[in-house]
Amino acid sequence: MKESQIAILTYGSMIGAPVLLALLALLNLSGLGTLYGIYTGLRILLAVDLLLFGAIGIREIYLGKRVNPIKLGIKTAEEQPIRNGEADTLRFRVYRFKEESKRLEESVYDVAVGKYTSVLGALVKIKAEKDPTISMRYSCNMGICGSCGMTVNGKPSLACETNALKSARNGIITIGPMLGHPLLKDLVTDFDDFFGKHESISPHLEREDRKEKYEAPKEYAQTREQIGRFLPYSYCIMCGLCMDACPVVNTNPAFLGPQALSQAYRYYMDSRDQMGERRLQMVNTKDGVWDCEYAGTCSEVCPKGVDPATAIQSMKFEMLVPKFVMKKEGAEMEK
Amino acid sequence: METLDYDLVILGTGIAGMCAAIHASEASKNSIRIALVSKLHAMRSHSVAAEGGISGVLYPEGGDTQDMHAYDTIKGSDFLADQDAVELLAKSAPREIRFFEHIGVPWNRDEKQKITQRPFGGMSIPRTAFAADKTGFFMMRALYDEVSGIGNVSILHENFATSLIINENRFLGLHAIDLATGESRLIRANACIIATGGASRVFKFTTNSYSCTGDGTALALRAGLSLKDMEFVQFHPTALVPTGVLITEAARGEGGYLLNSKGERFMKAYAPSKMELAPRDIVSRSIITEINEGRGIADQESGLQHVLLDLRHLDHRAIEEKLPMVREITMKMINLDPFNEPIPVRPAAHFTMGGINTNINGQVMRDMNSAVSGLWAAGECSCVSVHGANRLGSNSLSQCAVWGRMTGISAAEYLSRNGTKQDVDSKVAELYAAKEEDRIARLIGGNGQNDPYRILADLRDTMDMNLYVYRNEKGMSAAKKDIERMASDFKSIAIKDKGKRFNTNIRDVLEIENLICLAQAITECAIRRKESRGAHSRTDYASRNDNEWLSHTVIRMENGNPEIAYQPVRITKWKPEERKY
Repeated sequence: MKESQIAILTYGSMIGAPVLLALLALLNLSGLGTLYGIYTGLRILLAVDLLLFGAIGIREIYLGKRVNPIKLGIKTAEEQPIRNGEADTLRFRVYRFKEESKRLEESVYDVAVGKYTSVLGALVKIKAEKDPTISMRYSCNMGICGSCGMTVNGKPSLACETNALKSARNGIITIGPMLGHPLLKDLVTDFDDFFGKHESISPHLEREDRKEKYEAPKEYAQTREQIGRFLPYSYCIMCGLCMDACPVVNTNPAFLGPQALSQAYRYYMDSRDQMGERRLQMVNTKDGVWDCEYAGTCSEVCPKGVDPATAIQSMKFEMLVPKFVMKKEGAEMEK
Repeated sequence: METLDYDLVILGTGIAGMCAAIHASEASKNSIRIALVSKLHAMRSHSVAAEGGISGVLYPEGGDTQDMHAYDTIKGSDFLADQDAVELLAKSAPREIRFFEHIGVPWNRDEKQKITQRPFGGMSIPRTAFAADKTGFFMMRALYDEVSGIGNVSILHENFATSLIINENRFLGLHAIDLATGESRLIRANACIIATGGASRVFKFTTNSYSCTGDGTALALRAGLSLKDMEFVQFHPTALVPTGVLITEAARGEGGYLLNSKGERFMKAYAPSKMELAPRDIVSRSIITEINEGRGIADQESGLQHVLLDLRHLDHRAIEEKLPMVREITMKMINLDPFNEPIPVRPAAHFTMGGINTNINGQVMRDMNSAVSGLWAAGECSCVSVHGANRLGSNSLSQCAVWGRMTGISAAEYLSRNGTKQDVDSKVAELYAAKEEDRIARLIGGNGQNDPYRILADLRDTMDMNLYVYRNEKGMSAAKKDIERMASDFKSIAIKDKGKRFNTNIRDVLEIENLICLAQAITECAIRRKESRGAHSRTDYASRNDNEWLSHTVIRMENGNPEIAYQPVRITKWKPEERKY
């Protein structure tokens, strides 16, 4: 089956699916307790609600609400007029986490930018020319290392891929840390939990013969079609934007979240992997796939086009109707 | 101060470092305690930015041989590479490509499930395996994921190493700052592999990550160890104007043209047989010559002169399958669609051919004759040397994988021979570390006046101006003077951030210190080499001179002064000849 067909099936049957899911869960076919089945059923009804009211619209509203100064009790700097004279001077309002006060405090910088200056470029300039005390993570400057995740005007974004002039609203850009992660300093957040969740799903190809895996002079057989099944999910750069955008991660810290789950799917779909159904069992838990509520914000913010939302729903199907999503074929060593 | 004890510490978590960790663990049957130390999150090392692919003879039945791979590499190196090392590279590379296939890299494959290989600069046959144009990224993700499943390997994210502790020619440990807390750490181990990557951030216009500051190389130099061939810096012909982001050589490998302002494929005048796929040093010189002779185009935004990389005639589906990132980058960074418009490019600092002087096994050399016990270097930070005066595209990933594995296994064997117990030297290590902690505390506490970021900007300006694609005595001497002034300014450096937690101000300052010391080494070696070879091209000594200069430059610091010696090139099968394409 082609990737696009899977997507159509998955999304297309999202409306019918909850009913089926609720029934199956109640009938205790998913191997979980009856009480939990009822719970899941209710969660799914909620998801149907979400769908009826338009997940896309809710997603937008949700994203727009991020870094709300009033709600978070942020100390704001005194407003001053933007320096006149330079058409390309933007005002950066940067919400910085202070360890001492455990609060976000605003610093304001006016920066001259060019047509192609990225938000990261402007921040690096601020650090070099205006305020060496500001801290943020960055490295590759080309959207592949995953360091510079932050919120730009409330939306989780990679700063190096975000054009400054295009992001400005009335000459102002608001920058903040990703609040879905614990805060360390300024725009720097703590990733320990994030990495822990990623590691917990055994993110590597499981093979029975280790020696063969490390030494063999031949490749495992794999067709282009088989590669196509996991390739879209292997672009994850571990930047953390999806976790920041996910409403469930923000309310239930134990939820594995879209990053780890999308990677569980990536390895599950790889025909070279020999862990098979055990991979699904690992995430067949309340804090695994079943806490996902289809908000879809993860897929919306992913800068690399990974679609964790589809991955998670596909796994739910696979758990309930084995072999529904993919025909599992073992990968043998090339002769 | 916190002290952490391991058997093996690996500094740097790029492809070389993580390969070393996996194979050291495997060779010891998972019995040694390994620490992977990175100043970033481990999976964010600059190896992720490698795009085009990895070289290796996968299918000899297609007419390729390891000897052809070796010869192409040696000719590309302008005959400065050590030929025994190159033969080892060619022999070992195929196994590494398959190893990466086994740990999850989605190599592009053909209908018969064979790994596809594409043409690359200076290679006589398609020999470069690739996973779209995100090869380095996929290799890094596979390695990180594989490492996370190995129980005896600990990853120390965001630990910035500031000095190597070496006593009586033996590695004892290293001092690092844990960025999250700002506290000093002594990391003790009986063996160490340095894999910290290149130093192209000494230049302003560069394809490299902000983090490519050559820290391990600078640490080695300051610890009294020797560096080799530092004058050879590769300038990649096609970096995007104005940001310097890399546009992969694969764009030309898949058929892209280089055009000057008159719309001519100017490479026909410089390398008629290879055209756009000549080695990088030659293509870079050709571009700069075109620009110098008035056939460049000025970028309106930055004023930089450039030429054009034209992909418009290529099949759109092929671009989407094989070069998706080129399009992603140009669309996102400069709002340009390569389907419709040619891409503005010019040469940018890309790869450090020189580095920590090692023998063929990757063991670090104190000087030309004596190796340091328990210390290896692998990847771009090391100079084995397989790239000589100019690296061929896609040989770097093979080098990282081959020497990553080799040094990992050597370290594991060394530990099983010499035992893993810490001994009396631990006191010495503690003394060293305490001194280093004190030095950094004084740096932060000091009230110096000189702006580190100003010094960095000046340093990178002078390197771009004087040690770019073409060099001469006058320019390089001016750069040397500038750098001396910067080194002296650094003695009174201003650090505004006095905090502990995630103090990137002090990290930047320590990186700038490393860059200054490497810029000095590059300039010193470059001034002394009075010939043109590979990437070191002088207008005042325009030709190669095998009679006097068929040798490696070895530099070390003795009481603060550079001491330079020359070491002959090891030649096995291929006599130096005129290099023509």
